[in-house]
Amino acid sequence: MIRVLLFGAAADRAGTRETVLPVEDGATLAEVWSLLAERHPDLTPMRDTLAFAVNGEYARADTGVSTGDEIAVLPPVSGG
Amino acid sequence: MFAIVEEPLDVGALIRDAQMPDCGAIAMFVGTTRTDESEGAAVEYLEYEAYRPMADSKLEEIGAEIQGRWDVGHVSIVHRVGRVDPGEASVAIVVAAPRRGPAFEASRYAIERIKEVVPIWKREVWSDGYVWVGSQVGSREGVSGKP
Repeated sequence: MIRVLLFGAAADRAGTRETVLPVEDGATLAEVWSLLAERHPDLTPMRDTLAFAVNGEYARADTGVSTGDEIAVLPPVSGG
Repeated sequence: MFAIVEEPLDVGALIRDAQMPDCGAIAMFVGTTRTDESEGAAVEYLEYEAYRPMADSKLEEIGAEIQGRWDVGHVSIVHRVGRVDPGEASVAIVVAAPRRGPAFEASRYAIERIKEVVPIWKREVWSDGYVWVGSQVGSREGVSGKP
């Protein structure tokens, strides 16, 4: 199982700020995304704008994840 | 100091902390929230959220990048989260350096990097709904993702 945190517009569209997904060790972020989008289809139109982080660092879609990792779904940042 | 805080920013204290005998310049950038109007509606306030502790470590990384690129004696970045009313400071950057050039350049660099890499988001709360800035998702008429 993997914990996924959602922020900003992504949390808004998904209707939740946190979810747990049944992901096998070694799955990629792209696979995590597919599961997430299946559960929260309203996220799908945002896909191209989103970035991901694994354990607090930006990560590419082909990054592997394992149980206990914290995944974050990050819309375009708008600080300042 | 690199910090994400909920309370109003004390810009005077940030400048006092940056004063040091071997620096001849302090440059400060303060980002303030701006109201906006369209079609009879107005922005009432902004609300910020951050992914912590990633946002904290990204602020520290920007500080380290500045120390590596310019001759500076002090760097502080403080960003607010939660509700920020129009005209209030949402972010403050202070750079002290022996000479003014690096102080100006590094403070500009810091705000540009914040807008690129620090996981902080804001939504504008209008009199008729809200909008996540940068995503155009919200509850205002004409915005995608309207519930």
